[in-house]
Amino acid sequence: MAELDLIDIEKHFGANWVIRKLNLRINQGEFVVLLGPSGCGKTTTLRAIAGLEEIDSGEIRIDGKRVESLPASDRDIAFVFQLYSLYPHMTAFENIAFPLRAFRMSDKEVREKVKSVAKVLRIEHLLQKKPSALAGGDMQRVTIGRALVRRPKAILMDEPIGALDAKLREEMRVELRRLHIENQSTTVYVTHDQVEAMSMADRIAIMNDGVLQQVGSPTEVYSSPANLFVAQFVGSPIMNVVNCRVESSDSKIKVRLEGMESSFQFGGEVYQRVAASEHDDIALGVRPEAVRVERTEQPGYSPGEVHLIEPLGAYDILDIALGKTVIRARTESRFVTRLHEPVWVQLDETRTHFFDRKSGLVLNRER
Amino acid sequence: MAKLTLKNLSKTYGDVAAVRNLSLDIRDQEFFVLLGPTGAGKTTTLRCIAGLEKPETGEVWIGEDLVNEWSAANRDVALVFQQYSLYPNYTVRKNLEFPLKSKLRQLPAKEIGSRVHKVAETLRISHLLDRRTDRLSGGEMQRVAIGRAIVREPRLFLMDEPLSNVDAKLRELLRSELRGLQLKLGATLIFVTHDQVEAMTMGDRIGVLCDGELIQIGTPYEVYNSPHNTFVASFVGTPAINLFDGTIDGDRIVVVPEKFEIILQPALRVRLNQVAGMRNTVRIGVRPEHVKLVTKSNIAGTLYGAEDHGVEMILTIRVGEHLIRGTSAATTRVPVNAPVQIAFMQDKLHFFDPETGKNLAQA
Repeated sequence: MAELDLIDIEKHFGANWVIRKLNLRINQGEFVVLLGPSGCGKTTTLRAIAGLEEIDSGEIRIDGKRVESLPASDRDIAFVFQLYSLYPHMTAFENIAFPLRAFRMSDKEVREKVKSVAKVLRIEHLLQKKPSALAGGDMQRVTIGRALVRRPKAILMDEPIGALDAKLREEMRVELRRLHIENQSTTVYVTHDQVEAMSMADRIAIMNDGVLQQVGSPTEVYSSPANLFVAQFVGSPIMNVVNCRVESSDSKIKVRLEGMESSFQFGGEVYQRVAASEHDDIALGVRPEAVRVERTEQPGYSPGEVHLIEPLGAYDILDIALGKTVIRARTESRFVTRLHEPVWVQLDETRTHFFDRKSGLVLNRER
Repeated sequence: MAKLTLKNLSKTYGDVAAVRNLSLDIRDQEFFVLLGPTGAGKTTTLRCIAGLEKPETGEVWIGEDLVNEWSAANRDVALVFQQYSLYPNYTVRKNLEFPLKSKLRQLPAKEIGSRVHKVAETLRISHLLDRRTDRLSGGEMQRVAIGRAIVREPRLFLMDEPLSNVDAKLRELLRSELRGLQLKLGATLIFVTHDQVEAMTMGDRIGVLCDGELIQIGTPYEVYNSPHNTFVASFVGTPAINLFDGTIDGDRIVVVPEKFEIILQPALRVRLNQVAGMRNTVRIGVRPEHVKLVTKSNIAGTLYGAEDHGVEMILTIRVGEHLIRGTSAATTRVPVNAPVQIAFMQDKLHFFDPETGKNLAQA
């Protein structure tokens, strides 16, 4: 398996930038997800690695060797698309075996290789069926089997499970991750679905408007987002982001959210991060699970009123009005059962983020 | 606003029964969600209510009126589809005025103006009134489409997957906006979706449909915590509920002899006696949040997968040939393939009939 290196990749269509100065190293055996909204450049990046798309400048290295001028067929990389693209007249077995036929392998060897891939993918019992007789998830397993069977240097996947229904997608996530653990194939996976990215990646590379926003483990991008875009693209329900005013006195700071009458008090660590930076245009970001909610008055908590209750079964999301602003909090199921109930709110200091509204960048991110 | 009653509604297309003998009471000012997979009959039901489709048998009552023979226009219901179907060359204002200028209504210009103004304010689109609708973002278009439905002040709102064309982030926002609006207007709203999160978060009650049949009606809480059968149990909730079969044997349920057995605490033993009666085998349902990693348990397996979702971890544990899904704190760090032991919160276990799928506690 291989290491991939993208160095200063750039690509534009006419006056439109698709990829700008993209630098990314994908280590041997690593599962990297390119995540972003449609049009962010993630698929173009993937196609450039595969050799299906030319880049305007920059280098693509596979195991240190430059490949920009190599045709797709010489890069020894497998590609899995959202559409299954199986040969309809061949059985699953023949479909998976197809790439091996080019190598003049003995029948016995072919059979062994197909069987071993089929075992990992748990489709051994389906090998004699034609694609039309297979369910969506099984078809995609066969497609993946065909990509893996010749042990390519790297495997590239473009939204491979995007067309499956929710439950099957949930299962396939686990299977794909499992497959990766067993095969250790260097994998680049493109998706717009942050849940897929979070659940499968070793590292996530988040893109927007052709620009790489942040690269990090799921925990890193979730807990320490580099900017507002990442903060709101990753995580569901979305992170609360509210404009705020920050006043410091002694070693405390007071944070008043726009539209809110009272304020939140924060201590030392936050003081250093925010007060030390001289920004007037500050937005506070806090995920729903970092909003503490109590049903009785508590010291240091601000009063609010429950505007909406969204039950999700395992937990509830509350829309809480703090004056004119609304923030969302995650609570246990049935913590609050009546609309308009008064509640008291505090923010978990260690999980509260501050952003410069102009640049969108997080303030004083700990390094 | 009005209540809605469906009595024994049936509709077939050729040989296929799209809706089977469906009866339903929707209260005045209720947000009611019809939830089900593709082909469950939810859209057909909605179209029968709207008058776009004629049921073979059954009655549709809006308020105190039997409307079977009424035309769609006379039923005074507003429909919002997945496609916004706005007039692209018209301004937002013209789109909002359009339903009020129908010959059926004959409203004075002043009345039209004030209604449009009020609706625009409610939906926060006043600043867009003079913009053409093809210049709007997805969320703005959706608001205009809803505005056009509201402005008529109909007796019922019918919505068919209105949020499924917008991206995840906007959908989340529009969800709470739509629910807030419905509460504010005191509207009776029937909302069709295949997305269980939408159903759970917005509905006062949910009606779960499968193959044209209404399987369960209940609050989100009831549907999630007391599912009528395995279909509802696995359709609602994510990650999906774990389902596996076991044999009752004295003080335990045996899933795989000696390898996967649930030792019954006294309370569960009593409960199981009541629900299972004389039967031997049951299908057990346990939601991922009720599966716990513990240090000492008779259920041992290996960690098959770990998904870091930021807010929590979703773990897949392999016990013999079974894959069990569980959630745990975001800080959980267990290496994949490591041996683990699990326990179930016994008061949260569900028991179903392995043949019919019915919840034994409700039989």
